[in-house]
Amino acid sequence: MAKIGNGRQSVDTRSIRTINSSHIDDESSLGSDSEINGFTSDRRTDKYGFIGGAQQLGATDVPPEVLRHREVKWLDMLNHWDKWMIKRFDKVRLRCQKGIPPALRGRAWLYLSGGKVKKEQNQGKFQELDSQSGDPKWLDVIEKDLHRQFPFHEMFVSRGGHGQQDLFRVLKAYTLYRPEEGYCQAQAPIAAVLLMHMPAEDAFWGLVQICEKYLPGYYSPGLEAIQLDGEILFALLRRVSPLAFRHLEKHKIDPILYMTEWFMCAFSRTLPWSSVLRVWDMFLCDGVKIIFRVGLVLLKCMLGTREKLKACQGQYETMELLRAIEPRYMQEGFLVREVRILEVPVTSRDVEKEHHTQLKRWRKTRGELNLKPPPRMHGARLVLLADPPRRQDLKQNPTIVLEVPQPTSQLKKGKEEKQSMKKKSKKKSQPIMEVPNPYPLPNEHSPPPSDPPAMPPVTSKTPETVPQTVPQTETLSPHQHCAPPTDLAPAKDSPHQQSTQSLSSTELDTYL
Amino acid sequence: MGSDESYNFVFKVVLIGESGVGKSNLLSRFTKNEFNHESRTTIGVEFSTRTVQLDNFAIKAQIWDTAGLERYRAITSAYYRGAVGALLVYDVSRHLTYESTERWLKELYDHADPHIVVMLVGNKRDLESLRTVPTEEAKDFAEKKGIKFMETSALDSTNVEEAFTEVLTGWSYFLKHKSSVFFEIPTDFSPVYFQQSIRRWPAGK
Repeated sequence: MAKIGNGRQSVDTRSIRTINSSHIDDESSLGSDSEINGFTSDRRTDKYGFIGGAQQLGATDVPPEVLRHREVKWLDMLNHWDKWMIKRFDKVRLRCQKGIPPALRGRAWLYLSGGKVKKEQNQGKFQELDSQSGDPKWLDVIEKDLHRQFPFHEMFVSRGGHGQQDLFRVLKAYTLYRPEEGYCQAQAPIAAVLLMHMPAEDAFWGLVQICEKYLPGYYSPGLEAIQLDGEILFALLRRVSPLAFRHLEKHKIDPILYMTEWFMCAFSRTLPWSSVLRVWDMFLCDGVKIIFRVGLVLLKCMLGTREKLKACQGQYETMELLRAIEPRYMQEGFLVREVRILEVPVTSRDVEKEHHTQLKRWRKTRGELNLKPPPRMHGARLVLLADPPRRQDLKQNPTIVLEVPQPTSQLKKGKEEKQSMKKKSKKKSQPIMEVPNPYPLPNEHSPPPSDPPAMPPVTSKTPETVPQTVPQTETLSPHQHCAPPTDLAPAKDSPHQQSTQSLSSTELDTYL
Repeated sequence: MGSDESYNFVFKVVLIGESGVGKSNLLSRFTKNEFNHESRTTIGVEFSTRTVQLDNFAIKAQIWDTAGLERYRAITSAYYRGAVGALLVYDVSRHLTYESTERWLKELYDHADPHIVVMLVGNKRDLESLRTVPTEEAKDFAEKKGIKFMETSALDSTNVEEAFTEVLTGWSYFLKHKSSVFFEIPTDFSPVYFQQSIRRWPAGK
């Protein structure tokens, strides 16, 4: 690793400048950014963007056909988001539990969290915040943290690189959006995870939703909400694992001593990356109860048997154990299964009930809360119902737009293409103009849809949108990600045909 | 750092101070002889141990580290519990971090044991050209407050060992000479957790 200055700050606290990279222009993030700090191309980056490859361990490999299948379903859901969320939320939940296909994860997260709606209802807002200079007091702290988030992720590895710049922009914007909240250090990893999947503006609104709807008060001055949740976690543990509960009680191990980083960072700093993504898929769908469940599973696994407790003679040994969770308990498959089928189910209602109890206790021992955060939204459906979107708020915006000659009046915005593999449609839209395929394959002359699918857009920030194991010899063009490779028939039908198939499709997809 | 390591006592020492002054690297330098330019922001509590020899006793130093940002002070009472020593760290190249040490001191005395051994630590001493806190000024301040003082560099290891050792020694000196409890030293080398022994002390000390 190249020698970097030891944390010294640039004199100008408002600017982000790399020590030696002012000449770097907008090239691929891997090439230019990581080379600044001496990372050469023989430093392998895993599919999540982490240098070194340790994050690959324990990941479940989903076959590409299944991924394709899921992508089509998700595209359909995203295209009819409100209907799915209101009428078939159980299906949405199931699909989140199975894991959102990587190519659509960023988009799905934005929709689930309500960030998409927020963004559309506040057009121009992020740009406005982005253009302001911000409170120097916050900027100073934020700048210090930029190189301390996922420093071994290619996106954030270089000082002053695009990733760190975007992180700065997002965090700064939040301090301007909510000046009374300002910045809390645990917001940085949250924002960073979002940025790994979506551009800055989207990540900003995702952060807003997490901070205000999913985990209100977590990042506020006083940190009362997190302390309260620590007490709730501990109380719930009593039911889930009485042995673990008694041990922690006996050794006076305050929940704050082990759950702070877990909860405030939504496990993004604790679990292997594939597990982080699965947990976030479920968390953004079902709310904080997922975080509680993960915490309870880990505590139960590590401290739930007499045998394990024999090794923990005291406070320190116990805390050490909780900081070194055995990899097998954090492994994607195991963890997701345990969280879904937690023996003692922990529902949102359980959380709220315990919240009530602990709040009463708090008032008795510590007086009134200094800051009363807004009520917590327990998942995506409630978020949506609380802020019902307009039709146009849910419309997907293409990131790649082809020059289309003379659009018809019926031309809608939308990115998906429905291939002939999908069963018959009941409703036919107006025929659209046939546009010559700008990316023709050697023996193909099918026209693309009016708007190309943006699944792996070239501007994508996620390096892993291209499936790694697709057994094809030709390079994939953006169009092919929506369909099984053998089935790319010319799309005579409108790409926007309504499909009734997916609402009643039998689940061929049994991968958990 | 296993439980089969023999030691006589466990001394808990906390690192406090503003965000970014180098607490985490002081911790890793002392306990693992490591320094990391890319250490992560501390969220929650980090800790590590190292056993040192003081006089004829093996002292297991349990060093605790936490987030420095202002709002994290709300969750520190659990953090201070049972601590016998504290390193109050500032960054010699950032005067603001030095200015807030007075507040940190108050915070410390609000939560920790009154006899806790405190040392003011000016870290990042290697950044001599960027220094904004004169050594003499900080030294005088420490003297006035009745606390120890040292300047360190976690980056090049200067004085790190010395700082921790002095705090630990300060406490064992206090145990030996200032406490009015006859402190029985176990001969079977079983660990004694200080937090338990402190409660046996007479009140009003």
